[in-house]
Amino acid sequence: MTSTLTQQAPLVLLVEDDPHIRRFVRSALESEGCRVAEAETLARGLMDAASRKPDLVILDLGLPDGLGHDFVVDFRHWSQVPVLILSARDSEEDKVQALDAGADDYLVKPFSVAELLARARAMLRRARQGTRMEEPVLSFGDITVDLARRQVTKSLEALHLTPIEYRLLCALLAHEGRVLTHRQLLREVWGPNAVESNHYLRVYVGHLRHKLEQDPAQPRHLLTETGVGYRFQR
Amino acid sequence: MRPIPPSPLEAESESADALSEGREGRVKWASMLGALGACGFATLLAWPLSGWLHPVNTAMLYLLAVALVAHRWGRYPAVLAAFLGVAAFDFCFVAPRGSFAVHDAEFILSFVVMLAVGLIISHLAEGLRAQTREARAQVRQTQAMYQLASTLAGALSPAQVQAATSAMAASQWPGPHTRTALWVPDDTSTLQPIAPDPDTAPTASRSAPGTWSANVLRAAQACYQSGHAQESSQLDEQAHSLLLIPLKGATRMRGVMLLAVDTRQQASLHGAVELTQALASLVAAALERLHFVAVAHQTQLEISSERLRSSILSALSHDIRTPLTALYGTADALLLVQPPLQEPARELATSVRDQALRLNHLVIKLLDMARLQSGHVTLKREWQPLEEVIGSSIQSLGSALQAHPVKVTLPGAMPLVNIDAVLFERVLANVLDNAAKYASEGSAIAMQAQVTPDAHWQLVVRNEGPGFPPDRIERVFDLFERGTLESNVPGVGLGLAICKAIVEAHGGHISAHNVANGAEVHITLPLGQPPSIEAEVSA
Repeated sequence: MTSTLTQQAPLVLLVEDDPHIRRFVRSALESEGCRVAEAETLARGLMDAASRKPDLVILDLGLPDGLGHDFVVDFRHWSQVPVLILSARDSEEDKVQALDAGADDYLVKPFSVAELLARARAMLRRARQGTRMEEPVLSFGDITVDLARRQVTKSLEALHLTPIEYRLLCALLAHEGRVLTHRQLLREVWGPNAVESNHYLRVYVGHLRHKLEQDPAQPRHLLTETGVGYRFQR
Repeated sequence: MRPIPPSPLEAESESADALSEGREGRVKWASMLGALGACGFATLLAWPLSGWLHPVNTAMLYLLAVALVAHRWGRYPAVLAAFLGVAAFDFCFVAPRGSFAVHDAEFILSFVVMLAVGLIISHLAEGLRAQTREARAQVRQTQAMYQLASTLAGALSPAQVQAATSAMAASQWPGPHTRTALWVPDDTSTLQPIAPDPDTAPTASRSAPGTWSANVLRAAQACYQSGHAQESSQLDEQAHSLLLIPLKGATRMRGVMLLAVDTRQQASLHGAVELTQALASLVAAALERLHFVAVAHQTQLEISSERLRSSILSALSHDIRTPLTALYGTADALLLVQPPLQEPARELATSVRDQALRLNHLVIKLLDMARLQSGHVTLKREWQPLEEVIGSSIQSLGSALQAHPVKVTLPGAMPLVNIDAVLFERVLANVLDNAAKYASEGSAIAMQAQVTPDAHWQLVVRNEGPGFPPDRIERVFDLFERGTLESNVPGVGLGLAICKAIVEAHGGHISAHNVANGAEVHITLPLGQPPSIEAEVSA
């Protein structure tokens, strides 16, 4: 990763109350060439985020002094720096709330170091690239999506997608590797009035899978984040 | 037993006097003697005056005596006094004196008028007396009811209601045999006596529970079920007249009240229908109030114990997960340090990491089970394609399924299913994990869904392998039950128990079956009414 970075090593702000978790996360990130700032509380974390201008925030949702969701809301008022959430397995709602508020991704405890580094790397890379999509043609598996011509081909054969299916695919592609909550996808594809109709979203993701995936029951690109949303990966 | 006809309060006045048989007898004889005395006194008074007075005027004195006797002792002494007065008047003052013979026929009219007036006076006086008595009884009753109502309003336990009721009965029907009892229904609608308050001394109360014969209890139960009052004197070996009154609350029957009085007071009990009904409704209202107080208290208790349980669970899950995360992550980080660890150390670090992960799975299952068993899991059901949940459960198992590819077969027109995706993913993951653990090497696992004719959908997960042990196939979904005891296959027998709890929370059914060369798990859930998805207008 170091090779792809500019001279200045990226700064990661780690907001986590357990010193043991902080220690191994710091050592893993440092081995990747990142600088790490640590904060034990949300309040401290917000102050450090403002003063030290990190390139990535890793935030534990189970901090004793408040809700991670509030941190994300506050933080998003003035920063678009990516936020990675560390959450317990049984707190789907907190997780979804934080993601809806603008957090970018999450990891469920306990998580493997390799997984953490892969997510951090991807998020730093995306932040560097910005949100603009550089290439109008994307391909994954045997699928090619030409965004300029609005064409989707599977093994060089043209695929017909309905307008909603196409919008949904574009929304997922635009946030490659990132988890999108049901609410975010519904708002983006169907508009702000549809945010409660989760089953529509599920049905259309199912349609997409049947058209794009080898085995729609075991998708490799359009992945389900159960209880949260979907993620596209190449 | 006969139902009580509604009757006015006519007998009430007598009951108030009829305090006890012996005393009543004495009163009767004394009043008769009083009538005699009154007439004697009138005679003595008139005797010296007979020279001046016209005999007809002497009769006035006798009438006065009759009026006084009637006022003091009531009708029968007054009637006696009227006859005695006529006789004495005739004997002493009407010529020929000293004889009942009458010379002057004019006096016959005097006698008749005198007797008639005496009888009328006695009758009117008796009516007045009865009214007074009745009014007094009413006042006494009203006071007693008021007292009872205020005592009941402050009663804190059914035992206090019982005590207040007995006190009321004792004041209304005084006597050594007056007893009351209250029975309240338990959860199975079987009547139970009211338990005494634990803090009151077990003094021998007249309404001590448990002293009623089985006949009485049976009748009380019948009364509770029918909702009609019943009266009987045959139920009890002792000389009791029993009245069983259902306690009708506003919402439902609250129990049965028993009033027992001496058989000689039966008429009084029988007559006081309105009083007993009022008594019963007061008691019913008090019991109902206590019931709702108890319900509110119980609810509060449940809420706080549930709050305690869930806070313990979440604290536990946080406090276990945090060190586990550190343990797992640290071991994992060890594998990535540069320069890489030497071989034995690397192997040890891998082992630590894997065991931490295993421990984590165990903790997750234990916490899941604890949460499900507490019975307060709220399902977040949403309509979704079954395919998606199958896909995410396979994805969640990751490398555990590497050796056993899963083949999914779904009908083309599989409707949406109404399930909690997070919990159902755990069901499928546990079933698949179990199927993979016990599958023969390299064999595939098949998942097949279908809609059954009886408006259900069914998912069958099938593996190839030894199958479930036939002798324990019924119990594989029980807690801590494992297919192969003491085997080297890891697990503690929680997975399938969790599956069963979740499937049953969805109103479904899960079962295990052995088939040729393998085993099947069937999950069946009701279809429900899937929402319609309008087809998109294709551009």
